[in-house]
Amino acid sequence: MTRLLDIGLQRITNLIMDMGHLSVDLVNSALESYEKGTMLRSQIFEGSEKLRFLQIEVTDFATELIARYQPVAKDLRSIQSFMDASYGFSRFGRYAYDIAEVLDTIGPLPDCDKSQVTNMAKTVKEMIQLSVTSLEKLDKNASQKLYMMDDSVDSIFRNYLKKAITQTKKRNYEPRCYISALLILRYLERISDHACYIGDCVTYVVTGDPSPRR
Amino acid sequence: MAIEEPIEENEVEKRIVQDSTEKYKVRIENVNGWYGSKKAIKDVNLNVKEKSVTAFIGPSGCGKTTLLRCLNRMHEMTPGAHADGRVVVDGIDIYDKSIDPVVIRRRIGMVFQKPNPFPTMSIFDNVAAGLRLNGLKNKTIVREIVEESLRNAALWDEVKNELDKPGMSLSGGQQQRLCIARALAMQPEVLLMDEPTSSLDPIGSSKIEELLRTLKDSVTIIIVTHNMQQAARVSDFTAFMYLGDLIEYGLTNQIFMKPEKELTERYISGKFG
Repeated sequence: MTRLLDIGLQRITNLIMDMGHLSVDLVNSALESYEKGTMLRSQIFEGSEKLRFLQIEVTDFATELIARYQPVAKDLRSIQSFMDASYGFSRFGRYAYDIAEVLDTIGPLPDCDKSQVTNMAKTVKEMIQLSVTSLEKLDKNASQKLYMMDDSVDSIFRNYLKKAITQTKKRNYEPRCYISALLILRYLERISDHACYIGDCVTYVVTGDPSPRR
Repeated sequence: MAIEEPIEENEVEKRIVQDSTEKYKVRIENVNGWYGSKKAIKDVNLNVKEKSVTAFIGPSGCGKTTLLRCLNRMHEMTPGAHADGRVVVDGIDIYDKSIDPVVIRRRIGMVFQKPNPFPTMSIFDNVAAGLRLNGLKNKTIVREIVEESLRNAALWDEVKNELDKPGMSLSGGQQQRLCIARALAMQPEVLLMDEPTSSLDPIGSSKIEELLRTLKDSVTIIIVTHNMQQAARVSDFTAFMYLGDLIEYGLTNQIFMKPEKELTERYISGKFG
């Protein structure tokens, strides 16, 4: 017999998966807009707002499940983690919007070298996808992989920051290119952190062990 | 300043073992409980920490009430029932042949599922009955103990002006607190509670739950409950039993957040039972 709580857990899982897939699309679109120079700010803002509302819905529904069913053990850990993960996904949406806004604020950047952003974006996209699938499949091993990828993301960001500082002294320094790239790399680095937190949530659901962050 | 001599490693270990043993009020060692030839509890081992609340949970028929009744030798009062193993309270095996079960039941009080005040007695007499039965005749002392017990059972303020009224005139929740006061009047060191709120409404239940928090400062409490949320709310330690076996025992937050055994997880999550 299906527990009443299971019906609620299934609904909250569906909401989380919707958030996961939407956040993947938004970040991909934002990065594409930077690479191709297409203005997608308002569309991405809409998506980001949708994620924010979904996060509120997840939190409200999770609270209702706790109040109605007083879940324990894995059920309670799942609900707690769904709330954390929904925050992570809503942050993905917000950073996607921030990325789109860079282009909107600074203007088209056809002559800038975008290789560093492209390089980091490849890893971060993988991380977002991995965080979504790890939650879907409750893959506790994803967390470790996400942290390794996060290290490489951090390293790209730090190196580019150093490079940007040294470039300011050169004659052909183009501030628009560096500022835009730095901002976007920073947003990607934050997305990468949130992907790790979602991986931690999965580990917590499966094992009950608090993540290193906790 | 004197320099302390270093302590040998095995000496440290010995002291730790001693310390942790001293903190246990009740030690249940290899206890089996029988109804005729039917074994209702199987080789249970468990240590109950002093001045704590320990909850026994598990599905109906798992042996939790039987185990509870073994802890003050009430189990043997059921025709055909007996227990073996050791129940050690403050270092004394209550099943030792030299021990009088009546004395044990005085030290280890019990509160039952349904409130059972003595029907013909007043509120005052209900609490005083045990004292008088044990030969206490000094009226001043009896009055003092009755008041203290009613206060400790969080009932005094509600009944102080009607102590002569029948105990049965109280509400269900008040009757149960009266029974707790009656048990407390005997100044027990351990209080056993067998589903003490199962017949009470939510307000009556929450008063008893709040009471447990206060009482554990002076008494070691062991409670049987079917209500897992109640166990989670009131207890420091939880023991999960199934088909007469003790499956898992540990800190309540551990049991309810991250149980070690799959069976415990399934039971507390409502997947069976």
